Amino acid sequence: MKMKRLKTVKSILWALVGAAFAIAVFRFWRGLGPTTALTDLTPWGFWIGFDVMGGVALAAGGFVVAATVYVFHLERYRPILRPAVLTAFLGYAAVVVGLMFDLGLPWSIWHMIVFWNPHSPLFEVGWCVMLYLTVLLLEFLPVILEMSKHPVVAAVHHTLHKFTVPLVILGIMLSSLHQSSLGSLFLIMPHRLDPLWYTPILPILFFISAVALGLMMVTTESLFSAWLYEEEYELDLLQGLGRVAAGVLWFYLAVRLGDLAYRGTLPHVLDGGYGPTLFLIEILVSVIIPATLLTIPATRKRMKTLAIAAGMTVFGMVFYRIDVGGLAMIETTGTRYIPSWTELTVSFGIVAGAALVFFWIAEHFHLMHGGPMVKGRETLPDIKTFRPRLIRGAVMFVGGAALATALLPGTALDGYPVVAQTVHRTGYGDVMILDGNRNDKGVRFDHKAHADIVEGTDKCAYCHHMVKPGAQATGCAECHTDEHLPTSIFNHRLHQDLLAQGPGCLTCHEDTTKPKDLEHSKPCLDCHDSMIPAGAAFKPLAAPSIGLAPGYMDAMHGLCLRCHTEQDGGHSTDAPTLARCSTCHSEAVKAFDPMHPDKRLPDVKKDDAKAD
Amino acid sequence: MSGQKGILTDVTKCIGCERCVQSCRMANNLGTVLPFRWLLDDGLSAVRWCSVLRKDNKFVRKQCMHCLQPACVSACPVGALQKTAEGPVIYDSGKCLGCRYCMMSCPFGIPRYDWESAVPFVRKCQMCYQGRVSKGVQPGCTAGCPVGATIFGDRDELLAEAHKRIAENPDRYLPTVFGESEVGGTSVLYLAPMHLDILTLGNKLDERPMPGRTATAMSAVPIVFVGMGALMTSVYWIIERRMKNERDRAAKNGTLPTSTHGHGAAGHHHDDGKEG
Repeated sequence: MKMKRLKTVKSILWALVGAAFAIAVFRFWRGLGPTTALTDLTPWGFWIGFDVMGGVALAAGGFVVAATVYVFHLERYRPILRPAVLTAFLGYAAVVVGLMFDLGLPWSIWHMIVFWNPHSPLFEVGWCVMLYLTVLLLEFLPVILEMSKHPVVAAVHHTLHKFTVPLVILGIMLSSLHQSSLGSLFLIMPHRLDPLWYTPILPILFFISAVALGLMMVTTESLFSAWLYEEEYELDLLQGLGRVAAGVLWFYLAVRLGDLAYRGTLPHVLDGGYGPTLFLIEILVSVIIPATLLTIPATRKRMKTLAIAAGMTVFGMVFYRIDVGGLAMIETTGTRYIPSWTELTVSFGIVAGAALVFFWIAEHFHLMHGGPMVKGRETLPDIKTFRPRLIRGAVMFVGGAALATALLPGTALDGYPVVAQTVHRTGYGDVMILDGNRNDKGVRFDHKAHADIVEGTDKCAYCHHMVKPGAQATGCAECHTDEHLPTSIFNHRLHQDLLAQGPGCLTCHEDTTKPKDLEHSKPCLDCHDSMIPAGAAFKPLAAPSIGLAPGYMDAMHGLCLRCHTEQDGGHSTDAPTLARCSTCHSEAVKAFDPMHPDKRLPDVKKDDAKAD
Repeated sequence: MSGQKGILTDVTKCIGCERCVQSCRMANNLGTVLPFRWLLDDGLSAVRWCSVLRKDNKFVRKQCMHCLQPACVSACPVGALQKTAEGPVIYDSGKCLGCRYCMMSCPFGIPRYDWESAVPFVRKCQMCYQGRVSKGVQPGCTAGCPVGATIFGDRDELLAEAHKRIAENPDRYLPTVFGESEVGGTSVLYLAPMHLDILTLGNKLDERPMPGRTATAMSAVPIVFVGMGALMTSVYWIIERRMKNERDRAAKNGTLPTSTHGHGAAGHHHDDGKEG
């Protein structure tokens, strides 16, 4: 039967839409974390890089062709006007749908209209999308309205028709802003973007490349729908677009390389490595090869080479936008983000949905200049011819959704994407050596004693479920904070009771004219002179005053400091060294690697055995 | 600028006890930290707004720098992030729509996200503005520091104090105060014996404030918009006029123009052809 290509393509598209729908349910139920591969380091991923950047880019055909036909009066390009405007509308609609998935709080998108920040390029992008989507809808609406003979619809159609040229010019104004401001978005990321891509003229480069991309997008689309619906190719028209595109592409290359040369980055292009290689591939695919094919008349006028050139330009310029939106940030930020298949499926599902709408309109309305692409479908669908197609679409949709749900990772279903950790009994014995202070030095740690003291159901989580760099457990100091603090051990009530019969308050607060505080009272050691035995090994540096006993840590440091001063000539007395628990509690083991404590297992046991 | 509050952290004084982290968590009532997939290894997360980095036996406390001209504030399309007169950069979750442009624009990689939530918000240090600084109380982190390694005060006074310490102990510190001029200056300042590259994200920063980088492009918006409109309208008008003249001339010469319906909106061609 005829239209076999169409049936196959449509079935695949329906399955993709179904799969994207299933994932969307989980994305809104469980949040972005469990259903994407986004991280705190890479908060913009494939949905921004492909859907938003790519969607806007693909829509460039709309304003380019509208300008060609209406402003420059090149009437012979009128046949491709309607498909170009529809693609632009669908491209922008895809951007909005994609954003709805990517935004954390998509139901708050109306905030953009109420709360203004005109300094933000994203604010401008948002407004351009809203306004241009409306303009495109009004530009395209006549295609739908002309099908009806109803007087009201006809009146609306007629009114819209009068405003065609102003609408087209408004559309071009908004598009110019929007295509360029997509580049402005990244001007605030000099720290993230590779210097081969970061330039203050990003908005200008984005605009120029959008013109070339728009022309080639229309070409690709015309060739593809001719292939799909098995029709004649409009080569004569398209090669004219190709000639203009070649000029724009060469101009783009000159500006791009000229800018690099001006900023002194051009020599780095040949440095090799990730960034320069990516740059060379991008330039080759997006400009040099297609522009060469389009410049030579022989290759420009042949269907196959024209298709290759058009496809490469579209792919290459979307590639440029994806580079700026993500790929050129990989090396600078050191991110390990790779889009998850769920993200890819949602993106492709949105594109598939847009394509299905395109086909539906192409089949039922006067989109292509030859009229509806499938004969006999000129009117709105009647149920008899519609049913088999509906059933086929529904089956593929449900199938795709089921497959995607089955493949979803457990984390997306549970909504608990923590890093997998094996829970096992301490393999080190009750006493182990661990790097509790994160300074690559192990200290002896009595695990059993700690586990016994911290009781209750979450006793393990008390230390282990707190994320710390290097080791996923709580540092010693998180709990043992009291050891830094001076502690009051003076019991005033006890002294008051004991001394009530004698001189009373005057025993300690000798001078009644002075305030009765710590500074003006008798030191403890004046009465408690037997507290430090005559033969004590360590003596305090200064007689303690009343009230506060030094904290454990300070007491230890005081002792160490004394010995170090006496025996070491003061060489090891710098405060940072002494302030670390491990200076004394070291028993440092050479093989200890805090990132892989398990690897220490045999060594620890050996050392423990020796210690015993 | 005067009257702006700030925080000065002296890396040589820090003993790495993480009491600032604990005080911050208590002051802001932050929840449990779980080992989620999306965390960076710098210890910051949506529920841990301050952390202590350990490098070469030195401890560097990481928190929001509260830039004088913050990238995040200029990036946010709805103004959910604001720089207060007192210095702290604060966040209004009621305005946020979750675009995460702030996270992309921050040169220090500070804002974090509630990725695990179906209703996620951006989370970052706000210098304890709501509960403390706006009421004249110092933030949790500086209040908790047992050794005075991180202190709170007027930014100008802290800057003077920092330069005094450098002058008194030139061997102990680098001669520059980190945050005095980085990305146009920050409210949080550091004194350190080494370069604090570990606090920044990606390519090296210079002293240009981040918002200035988009300002040129944004100020061109009205010009481009009006200019494009004027250009397109005049091109349309000129060509339309020339075509009309051609038709008139052709009519005068008595030869019929090739197109029979030349006037009115150019859009009629298509429809007429279709219906014919």
